[in-house]
Amino acid sequence: MLELEAISRSFRVGPAETQVLRGISLTLAAGEMASIMGGSGSGKTTLMNIIGLLDRPSEGAYRIRGEDVLAARPDALSGLRNRLIGFVFQSYLLLPRLNAWRNVALPLMYRGVAEGEARRRACEMLERVGLSHRTEHFPPQLSGGQRQRVAIARALVGEPAVLLADEPTGALDPTTSQEIMDLFLEMNAALGVLVLIITHDPGVAAQCRRRLVLEGGALAHDSARVPAPC
Amino acid sequence: MLKQVMLEAVGNLLASRQRSILALVGIMVGAGAVIAMLAVGGIARNETLRQFRQMGTDTLLLRAESANGLGTLPQAVLEELPRTLPEVRQIAPFILGGGNAGHEGQVRSGTFLGVTEQFAAVARLTLAEGRFLSRHDRFEPFVVLGAGMARELSTPYARVRVGSQIRVGRYVFTVIGVLAESLQSPMMPADANQALFFSLANARRVISSPQLSWAVARLAPEADADAAAERIRAALAPAMREQSVQVQSARALIAGMQGQMRLFTLLLGAVGSIALVLGGVGVMNIMLVSIQERRREIGLRLAIGARRRDISTLFLAEAATLSVLGGVLGIGLGVAGALAFARMSGWAFSLSPEAIPVGAGVSVAVGVFFGFYPAVMASRLDPIVALRTE
Repeated sequence: MLELEAISRSFRVGPAETQVLRGISLTLAAGEMASIMGGSGSGKTTLMNIIGLLDRPSEGAYRIRGEDVLAARPDALSGLRNRLIGFVFQSYLLLPRLNAWRNVALPLMYRGVAEGEARRRACEMLERVGLSHRTEHFPPQLSGGQRQRVAIARALVGEPAVLLADEPTGALDPTTSQEIMDLFLEMNAALGVLVLIITHDPGVAAQCRRRLVLEGGALAHDSARVPAPC
Repeated sequence: MLKQVMLEAVGNLLASRQRSILALVGIMVGAGAVIAMLAVGGIARNETLRQFRQMGTDTLLLRAESANGLGTLPQAVLEELPRTLPEVRQIAPFILGGGNAGHEGQVRSGTFLGVTEQFAAVARLTLAEGRFLSRHDRFEPFVVLGAGMARELSTPYARVRVGSQIRVGRYVFTVIGVLAESLQSPMMPADANQALFFSLANARRVISSPQLSWAVARLAPEADADAAAERIRAALAPAMREQSVQVQSARALIAGMQGQMRLFTLLLGAVGSIALVLGGVGVMNIMLVSIQERRREIGLRLAIGARRRDISTLFLAEAATLSVLGGVLGIGLGVAGALAFARMSGWAFSLSPEAIPVGAGVSVAVGVFFGFYPAVMASRLDPIVALRTE
């Protein structure tokens, strides 16, 4: 489904070259629910940018559903992101001047889906995340948990292969945080979408069947593999 | 999609109302200035052309000059010209002076013109009542009044009309005609509306230093004004001795004034353009600020599948909305300005056909041109950097 092969990423700042990711190989299957943990500077954001097709690795190969996505040009990359990836951010990033269903429908608009059809699908998805009564509300009128639900609906409306969540519960209180995690688990089970959550919170990571840990730009732990003897 | 883009553009402009209004005012003033300038230029041009149509483009004005001021034209040679030169159809020499005229206790100062009977026809004067001076009136105490002079000399009880008595110095003249109101010709040294017309003989009595210094001529329709002026000068030369004669043609005057008008319009256009460029810079400024504030939004849009083109379209739509709205308001402002100018100058209001399309087109072009750079800048943002913006 999602194959990373010896991915490296280095940044050149002046004369010095910093290696952020070192040869990461990783395969994630459809319907998996995985978490990526790691301290600051471990490279998890860079890994997420690469998986999310926002950044390109310096070396390595990356395939989604067998498709080599690194060959695409910038505008084609936009199309791939639109079809394959759903993003959820810590700060929701909803557009304040669009109401809930227009926010959810945004990826469909960029795909060229007609407004009536986009609205129907957006409302359907809002119903699935439990916000059928809030479709006409604007983001400032919604609570934090409700905003994140709208953001999740937006990420899922285009039926992507991967749902990438960057600290999705970081700004929420524990109760709401758990509700959002339950929603991820539910969507993962119901839609069979691959969910990848980047988090600092061990409690969140523990609820994922597969747990990955990054350290110094390399994969230090993968619960799917037999832990290395030490 | 287009509907969505326009909706979002209008929504975003409304969200930062103050900034939008500032940019709008810039474009509006610029477009208004351009339109007003073009319209005022057109009004002035029409007015000049109207004056010349009144006067005729086939007119020449002759003025004798001597070493110490105005000279004297040889009347006999002058009146022979229509017979000796085929280009000249009619010629009317005149004496120019001024003084006070009284009627029923009203006293007004006016222009005194000593003329021959051809003058009315050559200068295209028409009568409101009575008749003009004829060749048989040379020594009769008759006067013809311009429309304005007749009005000003009238009292509520005694309107100046044919038969009224006008006192000039020691003489009393009988009004035999009153002219219809006419536009002042840019050619003539005096305004016919404010004039009293006497025969040459009478003019020599009422004007303090009467000199036959002026003449106005009408040319044959196909005659070339410059060549005719040259031949008239040559014909008069033997009789002029030390004096010279200046010949001014309506065509030369028109050409000169048209050149001036072009320069004037160009200058006004330049002022308008500067205002428009300032408006455009205003648009660019608020677009750049808006993009800076909305970097995260741009990053998000790119992340969920917007192409670079979608981003630039979004911002271009905002710039275009601003400039179209500014252009429409500017049309109102420009037309109002031209109307005010026409009212103040007393000239006929007319809207030159190119004023509105040019003004509106230029304002939209400026808005889009200055919106283009920010839009392209927005579309070139790196989504990672944009998303990370605090």
